Amino acid sequence: MRDPYSVLGVSQNASDEEVKKAYRELARKYHPDNYQNNPLSDLAEEKMKEINEAYDTITKQRSGGYSRSSGGYGGGYQGNYSSGPSNPIYARARAMINAGDLQGAERLLYEAGQKDGEWYFLSGSIAYRKGWMDEAMRNYSIAVQMDPGNMEYQQALAVMRQGRMGGYQPAGYGSSAQCDPCTTYLCCSCLTPWGGPCC
Amino acid sequence: MFGYVRPMRPELKCKDLDLYQATYCGLCRCLRRRYGLIAPMLLNFDFTFLALLLWEPEERFTPCPGRCHGNPLRKRPMCPDSPALELAADESVVLAWWKLRDSVQDSGLWRGLPARALGWLLKPAYQKAARRCPGFDGTARDSLAELAALEREGCACLDRAADPFARLLQAAAPADGERGRVLGQLLYHLGRWIYLADGQDDLEEDRLAGRYNPVSARYGPDGDKAALALTMDHSLAQMGAALQLGEFGCRGPLLENIVYLGLPMVQGAVLDGSWSRMKKQKIWGKKQ
Repeated sequence: MRDPYSVLGVSQNASDEEVKKAYRELARKYHPDNYQNNPLSDLAEEKMKEINEAYDTITKQRSGGYSRSSGGYGGGYQGNYSSGPSNPIYARARAMINAGDLQGAERLLYEAGQKDGEWYFLSGSIAYRKGWMDEAMRNYSIAVQMDPGNMEYQQALAVMRQGRMGGYQPAGYGSSAQCDPCTTYLCCSCLTPWGGPCC
Repeated sequence: MFGYVRPMRPELKCKDLDLYQATYCGLCRCLRRRYGLIAPMLLNFDFTFLALLLWEPEERFTPCPGRCHGNPLRKRPMCPDSPALELAADESVVLAWWKLRDSVQDSGLWRGLPARALGWLLKPAYQKAARRCPGFDGTARDSLAELAALEREGCACLDRAADPFARLLQAAAPADGERGRVLGQLLYHLGRWIYLADGQDDLEEDRLAGRYNPVSARYGPDGDKAALALTMDHSLAQMGAALQLGEFGCRGPLLENIVYLGLPMVQGAVLDGSWSRMKKQKIWGKKQ
């Protein structure tokens, strides 16, 4: 394993506060929210795991063996596409999207025939992963129109409407409108180990 | 080729500006050394960005003085030749060649004459470059042919129209390993973004000439600036997310400036019509 201090980018004699600050900045950078349905999400997840372990190791060393209870981030991705009972074809398509087999999922949806809200939502997810953002937006909008009560579709569309402001930007590059405080607080407070907002 | 990919100068640190300039000058020299005296005219900001991106992260910035191609009396700090510069130089020759071929085919006998003449001058360089990167050459040929077919049929899907050029740029980085995935994703969205910016920029011109334009095909003859800005923002966000996952060593801050500040600045200028003025601005002044 790499030296935990170099993982967090701080020196060995950094204060506890500095370590915590560096950890928070990195956690904000690789937060699962920034990589939802992103083809590189597995790499971000690895990074997140690495910095979590590094922070754990350092706090353990510094407090003489006593570890904070962590594991805050783990399941950010698995929960993505697993809501509710649905058409078995859709369940298979979701599994294929999660595994990165976009062509297979596309074929499956093509053969499915009937087009309902979920069909459009899944088509939108495939388009998003491919980088076809305009198509993704269009499909998500239709999904919300067809099934306005579904939170999953609404959330996907809300993320698309945020545009660039939704993602992470390093300190000094962000604009003032970077965080919408309410949504960010709600999204992040349950995911961060310290139970507070991410930024 | 387009020049859309540039840093935001006022926000650059001095050392990053030096790095950018030395990379630009190094790419110019590399083009001249590899492809002769006319090759430096292919030099542009977009491929400077590509060279910065492709550089090995461990490699430090070690400029050395070299003579400027534009003014041989002056010496400038330049990055020494490296695999990243060479690859960027080879690929800019290949892409320039296929763009020329494209414009020869698009225009008639007389109007295509300048492009034809330029092609004739560039042919030996292209043949050499194609031998050096046959994979990129094949992808460039195929995707530009695919793009031409989509344009002929008047494709109304923005993403489908942008896809060939995006995949072409994606092929500019070696695709292996984690780094290949990160660079591939970043370059795909850069290509998509450039294609859309170019479409918006040419909107008026294409309408007068009666040519296909992806933006007017999707949003109607006047375009839809808000919708286009949103979908371009999505590509910028994807590029930022990919950039954070890669290792870029001392080139990281400069790349961040370009992705987080330079590209949004250019996007704003393209959308509000001030791009034609900005395009002519130099990033550094004549006096050093």
